Amino acid sequence: MTEPQMPEGPFSGGCQCGAIRFHALALRDNPHVCYCRMCQKATGNLFAALVGVLHENLTWTRGKPAEFMSSDQAARGFCGNCGTSLYYRSIGGPHVSMSIGAFDEPEKIALWYQLGLEGKHPSLFHLNEIEEAGTTEAAMPEDAAVIRISNHQHPDHDTDAWTPRPGVLP
Amino acid sequence: MTDYFTGGCQCGAVRYRVAGPVRHASICNCRMCQKALGNLTAPFVSFQAPVEWTRSRPTLFRSSMRVQRGFCNQCGTPLTYQRGDMPISLTIGSLDRPNVVVPTVELARDNRHPVIGHIDELREESQGATDEERDILAILRSYQHPDQDTEAWTPGGGQ
Repeated sequence: MTEPQMPEGPFSGGCQCGAIRFHALALRDNPHVCYCRMCQKATGNLFAALVGVLHENLTWTRGKPAEFMSSDQAARGFCGNCGTSLYYRSIGGPHVSMSIGAFDEPEKIALWYQLGLEGKHPSLFHLNEIEEAGTTEAAMPEDAAVIRISNHQHPDHDTDAWTPRPGVLP
Repeated sequence: MTDYFTGGCQCGAVRYRVAGPVRHASICNCRMCQKALGNLTAPFVSFQAPVEWTRSRPTLFRSSMRVQRGFCNQCGTPLTYQRGDMPISLTIGSLDRPNVVVPTVELARDNRHPVIGHIDELREESQGATDEERDILAILRSYQHPDQDTEAWTPGGGQ
């Protein structure tokens, strides 16, 4: 199978609350999902979806991510205010593996391969067979309206000024 | 006998426990969930029984008026979604045994990332570690909490 084309940069993205924003000039040709248990637990998800950005092509345009060393070998970046998983980075490596979902237009980034198959969740073999609840607007129209008028998510594009809603300790 | 589900964040600062059975397990593709988790999908599970926080608690971000999302402020693992006074939903990947919960409903399929419908067709890549690399990996220290409760635990690796 031929690989899908890599989209041309530049790209922007950030966390949900908008405290952290980034620019990526270009992407490396390695967009993938990883099912390994480290990636799963770091992201609370069934996989991490990542694409490499060379250090020299990555700029943090607002704020700086918090980092957790998940092993002596790797660090995971996230927003300390809202928790969005932002990257995986191998210590000393040439690039930062950015979370594809944190890009403003993730749908433009096609994926090339899957890794860590030992951890592949059973549901991923038959995702197309489960019940479909429809769009948020159709399934929960009132909630969709409330989200629209009270949304604290940063828009999917750069903003000149932005005040993130603060996260709270319980 | 009641089945208990346990889980927590990567660093182990936040841990939870909840009694089965599962109330609802879903996978959501909406843009709020995508950006909250920095991912293509958001798999969540809720239970009839209340979630007990057995070590610390998540930090909360209110993503819109009715919804709060919880995460570990030490390592960033996304942990919860809670709408109003509805039961707390937990991220399936934060469970110690994520494979025992299989989502039965998909939300916001209209916003699916193009790969989601054919994730199975992606080229399978092995890590390709050499014996030498495996030896190095074996001595590397992981700071991930084990997939089970621990009596005492000092989260490491924060910066």
